[in-house]
Amino acid sequence: MDPTLTVLLYSSLAAAAAALGVLPLVGRTQVPKVWIGWANAIAGGLMLGSAHALSGAGVELGPFSVAAGALLGVAFTYGTHRVSDTEDLDLNRLADTDPTYGSKVLLTSFLHSASEGVAIGVAMVINLPFGIFVALAIAVHNIPEATVLCAVLRGRGVGLGTAAGLAMAMNSGQVLLAVTVFAVLSAAPAAVPPVIGFAVGTLVYLVLVELIPESYREAGPTTIAVLTSLTMGVLILLHGGLS
Amino acid sequence: MQLEPVVVVFLYGLLTAVATGLGALPFVFVRSVSPRAVAYSNAIAAGLMLGASFGLVAEGSERGSVQTFLGTLLGIAFILVTQRLLGEHDLEIGQLRGAGARRMLLIVIVMTVHSFAEGVAIGSSFAGGLTLATLITAAIAVHNIPEGLAISAVLRPQGATIAACAGWSIFSSLPQPLMAVPAFLFVDAFRPALPYGVGFAAGAMVFMVFVELLPEAFEHARRPAVGLLASGSLIAMILFQALL
Repeated sequence: MDPTLTVLLYSSLAAAAAALGVLPLVGRTQVPKVWIGWANAIAGGLMLGSAHALSGAGVELGPFSVAAGALLGVAFTYGTHRVSDTEDLDLNRLADTDPTYGSKVLLTSFLHSASEGVAIGVAMVINLPFGIFVALAIAVHNIPEATVLCAVLRGRGVGLGTAAGLAMAMNSGQVLLAVTVFAVLSAAPAAVPPVIGFAVGTLVYLVLVELIPESYREAGPTTIAVLTSLTMGVLILLHGGLS
Repeated sequence: MQLEPVVVVFLYGLLTAVATGLGALPFVFVRSVSPRAVAYSNAIAAGLMLGASFGLVAEGSERGSVQTFLGTLLGIAFILVTQRLLGEHDLEIGQLRGAGARRMLLIVIVMTVHSFAEGVAIGSSFAGGLTLATLITAAIAVHNIPEGLAISAVLRPQGATIAACAGWSIFSSLPQPLMAVPAFLFVDAFRPALPYGVGFAAGAMVFMVFVELLPEAFEHARRPAVGLLASGSLIAMILFQALL
């Protein structure tokens, strides 16, 4: 199979996995608040594990470019939050039906998953098996993340099918960016280290500002710490076992 | 004068321990202890510790990912138990009580325990010759400075003096000279334990970051500030470790 098709296939798979996030909401209109915290912590642990794998691959190629790219990734995400006025937004307000809130949640979740598309694309350029590993990690992480989004959508009276469809649609940017980043970096390999850094910076910053802060209130620090460090550890173990 | 090899190993380990104390220096200039300053310091400490655990895990995985992972589980369990034990007593350190005191004690315990693995690394590096040992010792000594910074970032805003910050930083690295000597003498016996050791340290640090440092930081500072400080210091730590 042509490598670009491999990237398209696996990033689409990751985006499609988001539909599974609706499953915990089948048969109930709302999930317990603590599930939202668990989902955030698991998603965050998988993102940190991916960031670890990427930074390990990156520093071998050029530590300074990786660090510069990472700072850029942090600055970019900070900037998009600022411009869209979502810096302090609680993304887990299940009972908020304000239209502006709804559009902000969708926008944030679209930008979030688009950044992860960069991570998939650049990992695929490093080598395809590594890229597939990162794509699958992001795919699994998309499920709990979509559960949180679907819970917010259900709280606004959105139907199950529509919620699942929206969750997938919010990840369409992931496919687009994975394929584009892969194509561009294959043609310009010199840009790989800073783009690895960019992916690491965005992943870390997104975990810190979007996923973790609310989850402490929902599930408590001890549960959050156990889930985040365990999922991160398991992903690193799997990565070490494969490489 | 020719020193006994064991004495050289001990002195090398002691040097790295003293280097940790240098991490307290930047706090000579930090006087304010507002809740927000504590939050910022905790965010920086969180980034430094996450970055350090990234490096530890990478090193452990090269020697055995499963052993590293098992070590990580032990590290998480260790902090859980320690936290439980500390939580049951009404803590008082100097004029400090409660959460602040628990956090101070925890970070000193975590960093001290994690120094055991570094001491083993110093001791066993002598098996590769004096040049390699000097290189590794220098690397660990320099790498200890931001660890001292992380400890001081938690201690100083709680009112600890510079001398106390430096003292506790050095204390946290004392296992290095103490472990370097047996590791040097029984290098073959210690080497297989190393991935467990670094995994333990990484698990303890990551858990500490998520259970104590970040919740405290988010309570008193805005998200972007915590995010920027923690990810910035994480990136600095990754770069720093890559260059050593």
